[in-house]
Amino acid sequence: MSNNHEHRRPLRPSTFASAVTDWFDERIGVRTLIDMARKKQVPIHRHSIWYYLGGVTLFLFIIQVITGILLLFYYRPGADTAFESIRFIMTKVQFGWLVRSIHTWAANLMILAAVMHMFSVFLTKAYRKPRELTWITGVLLLALALALGFSGYLLPWNELAYFATKVGTEITGAVPFVGKHMLELLRGGPQVNDATLSRFFGFHVALFPALFTVLLGIHLLLVQKQGMSTPLNIEKKKEVKSIPFFPNFLLRDLLLWLIVLNILAILAVFFPSELGEKADPFAPAPAGIVPEWYFLFMFQILKMLPPKILFVDGDVFGVLLFGLAGLFWLLIPFLDRSSQKGLQSRNFTYIGIAAIIVVLFFTILGWVS
Amino acid sequence: MKTTIVLVTTTLLLVGLLVSTTMNTQQRPREDQCFVCHDMLEDEATVAFRSDVHRSAGVSCADCHGGDRFEEDMDIAMSSAKGFIGIPRDIAISKACASCHDDEERMRNAGYTGPIGQLASLRHSAHAQGTHSGEELVLQCTSCHGAHGIRPVKDPRSPVSPLRVVSLCASCHSDPAFMRTYNPSLPTDQLAKYRTSVHGQRNLAGDPRVTTCVDCHTAHDIKPANETTSSVNAFRLPATCGKCHSDAEYMKPYDIRTDQVSEFTTSVHGIALLEKGDSGSPSCNDCHGNHGAMPPEVTSISHVCGTCHSLNAELFRKSRHKVEFERLGKPECETCHGYHAVQPATEELLSLETNTACGSCHGHERAPVGYRAANIMRGLLDSLQITVALADERLHAAEQKGMEVDDIRYALRGAKQARLQSRTAIHAFDLDVFREVMDPGLLTARNALRDAEAANSEFFFRRYGLAVATLIITLNVILLILYIRRLERKDRAVA
Repeated sequence: MSNNHEHRRPLRPSTFASAVTDWFDERIGVRTLIDMARKKQVPIHRHSIWYYLGGVTLFLFIIQVITGILLLFYYRPGADTAFESIRFIMTKVQFGWLVRSIHTWAANLMILAAVMHMFSVFLTKAYRKPRELTWITGVLLLALALALGFSGYLLPWNELAYFATKVGTEITGAVPFVGKHMLELLRGGPQVNDATLSRFFGFHVALFPALFTVLLGIHLLLVQKQGMSTPLNIEKKKEVKSIPFFPNFLLRDLLLWLIVLNILAILAVFFPSELGEKADPFAPAPAGIVPEWYFLFMFQILKMLPPKILFVDGDVFGVLLFGLAGLFWLLIPFLDRSSQKGLQSRNFTYIGIAAIIVVLFFTILGWVS
Repeated sequence: MKTTIVLVTTTLLLVGLLVSTTMNTQQRPREDQCFVCHDMLEDEATVAFRSDVHRSAGVSCADCHGGDRFEEDMDIAMSSAKGFIGIPRDIAISKACASCHDDEERMRNAGYTGPIGQLASLRHSAHAQGTHSGEELVLQCTSCHGAHGIRPVKDPRSPVSPLRVVSLCASCHSDPAFMRTYNPSLPTDQLAKYRTSVHGQRNLAGDPRVTTCVDCHTAHDIKPANETTSSVNAFRLPATCGKCHSDAEYMKPYDIRTDQVSEFTTSVHGIALLEKGDSGSPSCNDCHGNHGAMPPEVTSISHVCGTCHSLNAELFRKSRHKVEFERLGKPECETCHGYHAVQPATEELLSLETNTACGSCHGHERAPVGYRAANIMRGLLDSLQITVALADERLHAAEQKGMEVDDIRYALRGAKQARLQSRTAIHAFDLDVFREVMDPGLLTARNALRDAEAANSEFFFRRYGLAVATLIITLNVILLILYIRRLERKDRAVA
């Protein structure tokens, strides 16, 4: 294979970089990949801005991995050590406060970017054939990101984290038939305690990141394989402008990443993560316990449901409702037949807008109440 | 005719019956037939009843024993049909007393001016607690007042009169075998202690005005001292003692001050006890004793204060001041701190001005060694206090900036603890002992101040660091924008 590339002219023969590229090209044919990237085109139109959200999410995930590994050097899971180790990170470790703050803020921004990315894909119908699998892996990645957020929230073992986890895991108990077992599986027993912390730590640093990486690999491979989707109304136009993925689109991506990094740094310094009070399982729950903002809409809906709906307990009804909604959302590419045929499917546009309104409305309601 | 005879006969019979009934009534004696008969018999109870306050108030035997006081026929008068109950037992005794003593109108009409509702008080008292099975009260009214020879409380012959009530209470409370059956943990030496007190000695000498058991514990509403409603509970004791000791008119014959309670209420102990509700703070009895109340003497005052301030007392006893104070006849703690009006011990006590705790003896020329030591101690204490205050202020500033300073604050507690310990160490009146505590405390405080300053500096470092980082990133953003524009211009030119 290397012989096929021997005749090629290096990009910049005089530079050290091209020599390194040549070295790799002779062994693994790296120039083929570069050529592929150069040939890959990204459509440019009035909705192109949404293409960057996936890249931002990826960038924030990379930051999460790096800061997470740094935190792992000092974090010690356990009811007697977790809070103390976080305090140690915040006060004694050089730039420990910054790493923790960036980890917390990047987690929130990553979920925000992922949610926006998902809704942009939904409203531009980018899930339509042949990108059904990209959509499914994307939805699963968002679910994993939420799970990472939920499991990570408990790790500082402070008062707020403890009671929010207690309330959050209690909701799992409402799942019909298997709820109680799921609750015990999550908590490692009937109560939130040391066992829960160990379990959540395992989920947060091993299981979920591993699954996330595999799914992310498939997701990115599919994106590279299938290229960027063009919205239906743009696709019908005779001529759609495009730019090369490499280096033009990638440089724009990099530009946005730098801006996000700046925002992240400002947030981390001006609004650093708080340490809070150490969790005391015997203390009464403090007033105003609410979950993280990305669970707030579900929490608010569950709170507002009447105790009984059609002979079913309100919370059971709510959990079933969310389960069905999630399944519906996952199977959208197969349910939206019109977009599969290249037709505008206004009903699914309305569904998407309705979902955004519901999420926003109940999140704001949960926030203000 | 027959009808007329029947009518006349019936009328005569009715008139006869009416006359006979009227005559019977007129013939019934108005005297208390119970007393008339029993007085003739001269039994012990009736002899005692002759001088009973109740007899003069018109109370009959039948009022307590039941029966008909006006019936001459003994069998009828003392029949169950007439409500005769014989000798009342247990609670029936107190209920019989309460049948009148709970009736305020009746009591006031009889000229009685004392309290009403004694049985209700008794039922809520210590004498209603821990009774033997089946008993409602440990004692009945008659247990203290007697049954038939009851006299007014002020009558010296009454068992509850001021000069006799102490012995009356002691008849049970000084009997360990008896008391053990009710409250084994209660001491039984109250009377013995009382007799050693000024109160007890004056009482023994025949002074009815000094306090007795009932003046402090009350007569009927006696509560265990650990109950907050008890008149001898620590929180209420100053008011109880103050009833007499704050009454200038009442205390006039004894020629003693009456400002003890008012001084105590402004003292560090009084404020802690009465305003802050600190049950660990001393009340009157903690220094003066309970039943054996006496003013602590010059030689014993350090032992009194030392029961709580044990470390201070121990250091003082080993100090050179102990010997000097004894030689000068000065009371130990009181010389510097006062007694009823003890104020919080501040660094001011180490002041060397004239008429201050140290300065009154240690002058620059009179006692230069002590003068120098006090000066150094004061200087070190001030340094520690200022450093701790500064560290506190800088920590607060750092916290306000969102910095995490829990560790430093925790460390600073060590310096605050050293400040407290150094105040104790002063009582050794030895600079070396004092510095053993003070020097590590000062070091801790200085380290905490340094760390607090570092936390504040770190805040600014973060801000400056952010500014630099933002500047670099923004510069990169601008360069990247320019590069992309150039690249795309070039691409367009090629196209």
